[in-house]
Amino acid sequence: MLKIIIPTIMLMPLTWLSKKNMIWINTTTYSLLISLISLSLLNQPSNNSLNFSLMFFSDPLSAPLLVLTTWLLPLMLMASQHHLSKEPLIRKKLYITMLTMLQTLLIMTFTATELISFYILFEATLVPTLIIITRWGNQTERLNAGLYFLFYTLMGSLPLLVALISIQNLTGSLNFLLIQYWNQALPDSWSNIFLWLACMMAFMVKMPLYGLHLWLPKAHVEAPIAGSMVLAAILLKLGGYGMLRITTMLNPQTSFMAYPFLMLSLWGMIMTSSICLRQTDLKSLIAYSSVSHMALVIVAVLIQTPWSYMGATALMIAHGLTSSMLFCLANSNYERTHSRTMILARGLQTLLPLMAAWWLLASLTNLALPPSINLIGELFVVMSSFSWSNITIILMGTNITITALYSLYMLITTQRGKYTHHINSIKPSFTRENALMALHMTPLLLLSLNPKIILGFTY
Amino acid sequence: MNPLIFTTILMTVLLGTMIVMMSSHWLMIWIGFEMNLLAIIPILMKKYNPRTMEASTKYFLTQATASMLLMMAIIINLMHSGQWTITKVFNPTASIIMTSALAMKLGLTPFHFWVPEVTQGISLTSGLILLTWQKLAPMSILYQISPSINLNILLTMAVLSILVGGWGGLNQTQLRKIMAYSSIAHMGWMTAVLVYSPTLTMLNMLIYIMMTLTMFMLFIHSSSTTTLSLSHTWNKTPLTTTLILITLLSMGGLPPLSGFMPKWMIIQELTKNSSIILPTLMAIMALLNLYFYMRLTYSTSLTMFPSTNNMKMKWQFETKRITLLPPLIVMSSLLLPLTPMLSILD
Repeated sequence: MLKIIIPTIMLMPLTWLSKKNMIWINTTTYSLLISLISLSLLNQPSNNSLNFSLMFFSDPLSAPLLVLTTWLLPLMLMASQHHLSKEPLIRKKLYITMLTMLQTLLIMTFTATELISFYILFEATLVPTLIIITRWGNQTERLNAGLYFLFYTLMGSLPLLVALISIQNLTGSLNFLLIQYWNQALPDSWSNIFLWLACMMAFMVKMPLYGLHLWLPKAHVEAPIAGSMVLAAILLKLGGYGMLRITTMLNPQTSFMAYPFLMLSLWGMIMTSSICLRQTDLKSLIAYSSVSHMALVIVAVLIQTPWSYMGATALMIAHGLTSSMLFCLANSNYERTHSRTMILARGLQTLLPLMAAWWLLASLTNLALPPSINLIGELFVVMSSFSWSNITIILMGTNITITALYSLYMLITTQRGKYTHHINSIKPSFTRENALMALHMTPLLLLSLNPKIILGFTY
Repeated sequence: MNPLIFTTILMTVLLGTMIVMMSSHWLMIWIGFEMNLLAIIPILMKKYNPRTMEASTKYFLTQATASMLLMMAIIINLMHSGQWTITKVFNPTASIIMTSALAMKLGLTPFHFWVPEVTQGISLTSGLILLTWQKLAPMSILYQISPSINLNILLTMAVLSILVGGWGGLNQTQLRKIMAYSSIAHMGWMTAVLVYSPTLTMLNMLIYIMMTLTMFMLFIHSSSTTTLSLSHTWNKTPLTTTLILITLLSMGGLPPLSGFMPKWMIIQELTKNSSIILPTLMAIMALLNLYFYMRLTYSTSLTMFPSTNNMKMKWQFETKRITLLPPLIVMSSLLLPLTPMLSILD
């Protein structure tokens, strides 16, 4: 695993020592090379995990997330070039350093064996993200957004620290490799109920669960493009990954403790999808759509069946790529009109036809069109929740319909119709932007040919 | 002040604390405390104005009361045990009185009222000595009598201190008062784990001293005593803004900086001793502290605070050279990977 971590750390000296006209080229190239290295982890030969050392490992759940993380860094760098072009050189280097630091911490989080090490790195990812949102965001609301983001996550995760330490006292070790053999039923008592809550609340806030999701629209909207991309694509999946790891230790209480959260998620996904239909702010629409998709992942993880785990993993990867692509598209609008209001930039298909093709593909994958991996994820989750309880099919069906509605609403409002008269002087699409969209879309489309690599460890 | 006299007085302060830390006779400890108190008054009053006079008077009164209470506890201990050696305190009454006296010296709730007012009235360097060096002597006595301290009283004082330190700092814009409330909260963390594992108290003290030293030196470097004046550092020394950000986040206890280490170790020790609600409450209340540190970072490093154009072009005097600052900054932010080594030191 050091073959990925050390090159990522070394990206920081690379930025500081590069010449002025080479910083973007150097960092993008080398981060693409690092993502190529991480692809080798997808080859998981046995049913168990690939153990590289006592501290790092990778198994069929963390390998796709790791590949997504390393794939996203070059994309983030490409997307940030325009809005940083007018900043002084040192600030550009600082921004790239923050992104690289975040990347290193994320890689270490996804491959950590010891759960306390996972916790420390999970918390550590908050600091660079906070700095990116607060320092480089564009509106005054970014201050509030940063505070909400930091404090919601910290309030949820401090009980997790206490819970992990008390589990360590009980079992003697929190090394994930050992815990999978421990498999003892958690006895039923009030304190174990609180233990369950303490373990799960951190990830519920991160996912986010419907009642605790207030930080997400603020943070996603106010962050600059790289911040939005990494928040939507990776940081939310940290919550899902953590839940998938911790629930192995928390049986059999999950069967009854999960009910309130299942209800909140099932209802919340419909609520947030419906809110999307009434949004005027494009980034806010994509942010609420993220909440809705992640609610599906929460439902899948809490049901705890093999199919639902497959669906959760596939949905996490698919949503990561789709949501990041949608944010890039919204950003390309924002860079031209300097406004996030959807109706200000209508009818773009006439002016930027190639970008309209990317908008179409992104919207279609967002509404889970066959045969994309979004559909595979959603379908597995819908089927497994149907087997858990027949009635959920109504809610799931409603959600899929409303998702289709708002995705098409977003597409039609921005692309179709008559263009507004003030946007016929916008710049045409840069090759960098088209390359960005292509690099998002190609893995999505190719994965639909071989989805078994993202189906997780219950395949 | 005459450098020779200043040196003598400073050495007396040092000598006083050393006598406290190294004695085995209760009377010598009391003498050490008095020496420390009397010698630090001129240092607190380096600038001779009514504000410092008021602050020094408050400090003298509270510390003298605490010393008298300490003397009473020593005499009661003498009555009941018949000897002057420092071991555990043999009488519960004496133990309670001694704990209260030392809490007054440290600035724990409910005896915390003097800390913000005294710290605000004195200069930055004196405040530095007050909040770091002066805590060493009482803490060393608490360490030595830790087997006989009444757990209920100590834990109540600790939790209330964390609460007061968090809430009290929320409405402050003066940097010295912010540091005072931060000191109250950190003292609360330190005394909470005293009965379970005094080693961790010492570890927390060490890391707290490093972080407070760093913060004060950064303030001295930019000669700023209010949030407003701190927000101008982006204009004069932009690097200082990053350093202030890192140190403040470390004081707030965010991983992966070294300020997280004492909190993590203390939570671990408390959980091992089957108290689970207490560390959860303590950790959540430390978030209040983090809130006003974040507010400071917002005005300093992460935004350009609104200010008039005149303020941006203040007189640039010769840059103060603070030799100890870089190693302190490194130590106050990067020590977390060394946790296994540092937490078993005795």
